[in-house]
Amino acid sequence: MTAETSSQLTSLFSNSTLNRIERMRLNPLRRLTNRSRGENLAGKGGSSTDFADYRDYATGDDMRYVDWNIFARLRRPYIKQFLHEEELHVVIMVDASSSMLFDDKLLKARQLAAAFGIMGLLNVERVSVYGLHQQDGKSWMLPPGTGRTRIRALLEFLENLEGGGDVPVEKAIETMLRFHRGRGVAILLSDFLTFSNLSRSMNLLFSTGLEVWGLQILGESEISPNLEGDLRFVDSETGETLDVTNAGELLSLYHEHRVWQEEMLHQQCRSRNGRFTSVDSSMTLESVLFDVLCRQGWVLR
Amino acid sequence: MNWPSFSFPFGGWFFLSLIPLVVLYFLKLKRPKLEIPSLALWQSVVNDQRVNSPFQKFRRNLLLLLQLILLCLVILALMQPFITAGPEKEDYLPILIDCSASMLATVEGEDQTRLDQAKEQIREISGNGKIGLYAFSNTGRRLTEFTDDRRILNRALDRLEGTHRVSRLDEVLRMVGAVARTLPVQRAIVFTDGNLKEHVDVELPFALEIRRVDEGGDNLGITEMNARRSGTDSWDVFVRVAGSTSEPAYGELKLTQDGKVVGREPVVASNQDSERVVFSVGSNGSSLLQATLKVDGFDSLDVDNTVWLNLPETRPLRIRTSADLFSWQHALNVQSDLDVDSGELPSTPSYDLIITDSYDLGGAAAPIVIYSGVVPEELKDLIAVSDVDVDETPVRIVDWVKTTPLLRHVQLRDVQIGQKARFAAGADAHDLEERGFEVLVHGAEGPLMLQRRRGLETEYYFLFHTDRSTLPYRVAFPILVTNVIETAMQQASLSEVVAAPTGVLPALNVAADREYVVQGPTGESDTVRSTASGLLTGIQADVVGKYNITDAGISVASVGTGLLSPLETSLRAVDELQFTELNVATSESQIIDSDRHLWWPLALMAFVFLLAEWWYFQRMKTGAVA
Repeated sequence: MTAETSSQLTSLFSNSTLNRIERMRLNPLRRLTNRSRGENLAGKGGSSTDFADYRDYATGDDMRYVDWNIFARLRRPYIKQFLHEEELHVVIMVDASSSMLFDDKLLKARQLAAAFGIMGLLNVERVSVYGLHQQDGKSWMLPPGTGRTRIRALLEFLENLEGGGDVPVEKAIETMLRFHRGRGVAILLSDFLTFSNLSRSMNLLFSTGLEVWGLQILGESEISPNLEGDLRFVDSETGETLDVTNAGELLSLYHEHRVWQEEMLHQQCRSRNGRFTSVDSSMTLESVLFDVLCRQGWVLR
Repeated sequence: MNWPSFSFPFGGWFFLSLIPLVVLYFLKLKRPKLEIPSLALWQSVVNDQRVNSPFQKFRRNLLLLLQLILLCLVILALMQPFITAGPEKEDYLPILIDCSASMLATVEGEDQTRLDQAKEQIREISGNGKIGLYAFSNTGRRLTEFTDDRRILNRALDRLEGTHRVSRLDEVLRMVGAVARTLPVQRAIVFTDGNLKEHVDVELPFALEIRRVDEGGDNLGITEMNARRSGTDSWDVFVRVAGSTSEPAYGELKLTQDGKVVGREPVVASNQDSERVVFSVGSNGSSLLQATLKVDGFDSLDVDNTVWLNLPETRPLRIRTSADLFSWQHALNVQSDLDVDSGELPSTPSYDLIITDSYDLGGAAAPIVIYSGVVPEELKDLIAVSDVDVDETPVRIVDWVKTTPLLRHVQLRDVQIGQKARFAAGADAHDLEERGFEVLVHGAEGPLMLQRRRGLETEYYFLFHTDRSTLPYRVAFPILVTNVIETAMQQASLSEVVAAPTGVLPALNVAADREYVVQGPTGESDTVRSTASGLLTGIQADVVGKYNITDAGISVASVGTGLLSPLETSLRAVDELQFTELNVATSESQIIDSDRHLWWPLALMAFVFLLAEWWYFQRMKTGAVA
């Protein structure tokens, strides 16, 4: 290990990238927050210094919040309301199935998960991370936590996250929701290559109070496959086979299906107040974080 | 258009092998395995493709398609398809095979004869009808009945050998024509080298198709050999050598007499210019001459290189005349080298010529008999002869056959005859012909001279007595006598002998009613019985060579035969045969117009498809996944 690498905080990305990430924060579309105090302003009244509104005094209200200037002028008591700063629950789900092992998709997913997690922790959000796979004996969940001190645990969890699971992403989401409580943002990092419809999983996430952010990571072999002749495809997760004759002639149809699937996922996320985007695993982390996601409003700098 | 037929239609059962091919293809198709993240997208793609283009699956299995085509082509080739040149289906098809000597010709560098080529072509003839094989040379013979059994036909072809005879189409066509009266024969095919006589005197009751095999190579051979007596004990032997090519061919002619070489001469001949070589040989008794031609370079046909000729013993011509025929005796006495017997009774039973005015020969016999003033017993009811009265107009000769040897250069116009022969009421020359007589001299009211051939014997009948005419006083008479002597000498082989061609040996004078063994040049022997008159006739001589005739182990005679056919030696092919009513072309195009076999183009296409399949397989194998 060189001196430069030994000084790195994590193997997922460089310290310079980390510095840039630390100055960024997530930009949820809706304020789905928890009642526990945090740094996200709640829609209802709170106890922060930011003024929100006035209301009539009611019996039992804390006298400290009566606006005495208004009372002196109007002779009626009004309660002065302030914005409430609550915690945002950031649920990061990393698809660690076998399909993610291709084309460094899992690595990209771990990098992005680390980036999102750090953004959340540094902005006093409750961040939890789930590895959506079911390999026995492996840690698949980082429980919710807040504060800078959780960064080390977050990075270690993601660094140690291994792929190879054979559970489809929709089942893994259902399993995850058994352990999760809290509203916020659910960031799903996956290739979304599944036979089943993800509508049910997204409905579950949405009904739980999570804003669904779908980030599809596809490898080059999926975006622009170069195939020819008669082939027997073997599913990396299920081991099932599919005989394809003259695959070269099917590529155009394949691209149509892939674009259609992206559009469908985008539709599903938008209809649940979420976001969706698809990135190439060969893109650098910096270009994804600081260019693509910034332009699409996922994160704020 | 003729649809293809199949020589081996049962090969169609092999099409069932397409089923295991398809099954094995899909069972054993080895596709390169490729692990992909998920089948989700590809499954939907494949489902979509199957729904939208269900019929493209077969097209996409190009490898299977190529294999199916390849197998189909191989099976079709195995079934041996062909397109018939003539009618699609014939119930009965006679095939006439030329087995003459020219069919034994070869080409330089090849051992295959023309006959072998013809056999090959015949074996390739296919069809659903029955085939009858006929072979012909100067005669025809049936090889097989009409049959569709290939084994019988092939066995007959295997046994068929070429003869050393000339070719004549007439007889075999008449034979097939007779068959066509009872069977529905619509056409016949002749396999020949085209070395045929142009004129065929046959009316064809069916279509005739001539298929010519290739012509033979260069040939030089003996086409003629005869000997003419040049002196008391000497002969001039003439041998003619002809060639088949336009360029002169060279060789050496050797003549042996009883095994001893008596002359050698170089010869040059072409198809335009034959060479006649003369040898002078002496002969005290009978001897056997053998002319052998040795050709410089390649010679296509061997059988025309050797000819035999029997020189008879020289002796005076033995003539018997009636005692009263003074005119004839007088004319004969001035001739030399004659032995004339004019006694009341014959001194020997055998003469070379008898001239008589009596129907009774007194127990004597001769190959030529001239009757003077005799009406044959068989014609007494048809012809009546009477004397001409003094006041009647003498009988004059109206016409005569000038080409007959006896009357050659004989002027009979001014001859007056004191006897007249008349036909009986209702009789005419046709009645004479029906009884074997030919009219040589016609009078105003009936025939005046008749001829009848009885085997080797020829009888001439002057229906008027020559002494009752002015004939002995005319210039025509000594000419007539000379012709008679010449004819008798030829008949007795005393003046000129001609080499015998193959076919039938010339008749031999031997002891009467005895069995003789004839051994041919190939070693086969046959027993022949002589006639009551002491003639040995009808001995088959199909092969060129020397035939030995023995009586109880004792050699009686040796007779040789040769091909002796300018037509066969020339190997010339005629372009058109002239029949009685139509002409049949024998051009080379007839060769093309044979059954076209399609197995080899199919096999070639199969090979091309095999290469395409190999290329496609290799391409697919190397370019599977980038």
